[in-house]
Amino acid sequence: MNDIFSLKRFLLFLKKTLLERPVQMFGFTVLIFVSVLILYAFCKTFIGFGPAQNISFIWGFAGGGCFMASFVFAYFSTNASGLSYLTLPASHLEKWLCGILIAGILYPLAFLVFFRLMDASFISAYRSSLNPRDPLYKTQYASIFVFPFDGRNTWKVYSLSFFLSGSMLLGSLYFNKVGFIKSALTVCLICIGGFGLNWLIAVLFFGNINDAAPFDHVTIQIGNEVGSIEPPKQWASIFSYSLAYVIPILIWGLSFIRLREKEF
Amino acid sequence: MIQIKNLSFGYRKKKLLYNSLSLNLAPGSIIGLLGKNGAGKSTLLKNMTGLLFPKKGHISVNGFIPKKRQPSFLKTIYMVPEEVHVPGLTIKRYQSLFSPFYPNFDKDQFIAYLDQLDVRDQGSLNTFSFGQQKKFIIAFALACNTEILLLDEPTNGLDIPSKAKFRKLISSIFDQGKTIFISTHQIRDLDNLIDRVIIVDNGEILLNASITEISEKLCFKTAGQFSTDENILYAEQHLKGFSIVGVNKDREDSKVNLEHLFNAITENPIKVKEIFA
Repeated sequence: MNDIFSLKRFLLFLKKTLLERPVQMFGFTVLIFVSVLILYAFCKTFIGFGPAQNISFIWGFAGGGCFMASFVFAYFSTNASGLSYLTLPASHLEKWLCGILIAGILYPLAFLVFFRLMDASFISAYRSSLNPRDPLYKTQYASIFVFPFDGRNTWKVYSLSFFLSGSMLLGSLYFNKVGFIKSALTVCLICIGGFGLNWLIAVLFFGNINDAAPFDHVTIQIGNEVGSIEPPKQWASIFSYSLAYVIPILIWGLSFIRLREKEF
Repeated sequence: MIQIKNLSFGYRKKKLLYNSLSLNLAPGSIIGLLGKNGAGKSTLLKNMTGLLFPKKGHISVNGFIPKKRQPSFLKTIYMVPEEVHVPGLTIKRYQSLFSPFYPNFDKDQFIAYLDQLDVRDQGSLNTFSFGQQKKFIIAFALACNTEILLLDEPTNGLDIPSKAKFRKLISSIFDQGKTIFISTHQIRDLDNLIDRVIIVDNGEILLNASITEISEKLCFKTAGQFSTDENILYAEQHLKGFSIVGVNKDREDSKVNLEHLFNAITENPIKVKEIFA
């Protein structure tokens, strides 16, 4: 018997995971999609299409991804369900991959499909509401376009979501009860702590600090002049690359180690 | 075969629940694991299942190291916890999703066990009463036909008829290849069911002996009066006199009373160790 990975066992485990809590799993996804729809409609009405697309995409992709990530390993809130999960005859890798597949692939793909359909429907409704005889018709028609999934900012959202979802996934394996809230608080504390420490160090060195972001910049005020000190481009790119890829990969990888070492 | 060698375990580093505990158990027994509340019965079972890891020492279950939680190990062991978990599925759906992980699962047996325990298909499992849920999980665990079955307080939450049915069922399914651990503090539920007793207290095993061995070395009797004697380990007064547990010097035949045995052993751990050494 292969104790590391068996495709048959993995598929059985995936089926069990998806169908064991159908109301929570699918109901939860639908709830996120509905909230995205409401947010999009609300923002479109009061702020405009561009912000509506950005805000609802960030909320649905990164926010929804976080909820889903904290949900896939949420078996440890009770002794019985945690025990049932850990003692079910599937390997750590299969259990972990199942979580990754749901939180990291299936949910994002489902969200992208939903978002594109929703976005296209709203834009289509907007365009069909325009008057073709209006002299501004062409400008108005071309001013709104579907949200690009390969835009620069979209990639930032992917990267942010990758980091946050990984953190929530890891957090749900550390915090047995109210894992989502505790993980979210921990991420916030780490970020605030990182920024705060960076700011303190900058104050110790320069004194007259306007603002500072770790590995990014320190803004100093001298009289009425404001200057920004930035790390060399090479270092800055190493940091941004690490933040976007290396740290999330480490976090997702750590969740596997944590699952393997989980005592309950 | 379960081998525990010099096991040390504690939830806190400085306060060990078990310190250098050793135990060897051959397959083919129904073992009653007895102990006071907080004595570490569930902890011991969890160490055997790989849910908790020893701080020191070594555990081997049928040649596997439990802490690795390999599928080939997990399919040979099933633990029914005190509080059971059932998702919002029907019996049929639960069986179709969970049974494929246990290659020796027998559907006909499962239906028969459900019937014997009076568990009826009433829709979603999470709408069942606690006792019904527990009986459902016990039936499922038995039908999985794992080599080792760990039952943690299995009779908690069961009504009186169900306790009797549970005892009858466990006796009927037992075969020589299986090891069944029943951890409980409701000692009377194990009467006539177990063939080995392990008593844990204060992080050590006070007794690990078969019922035959216990009845050879100790005698359990009722007397109108008794005089304090070094051979008497425990005496309890009741309406008709005294129930006494003593050293069986005269090779008398007597039925083991688990409750009195437990009290005798926890009150005289050193003396009992000498008797069973």
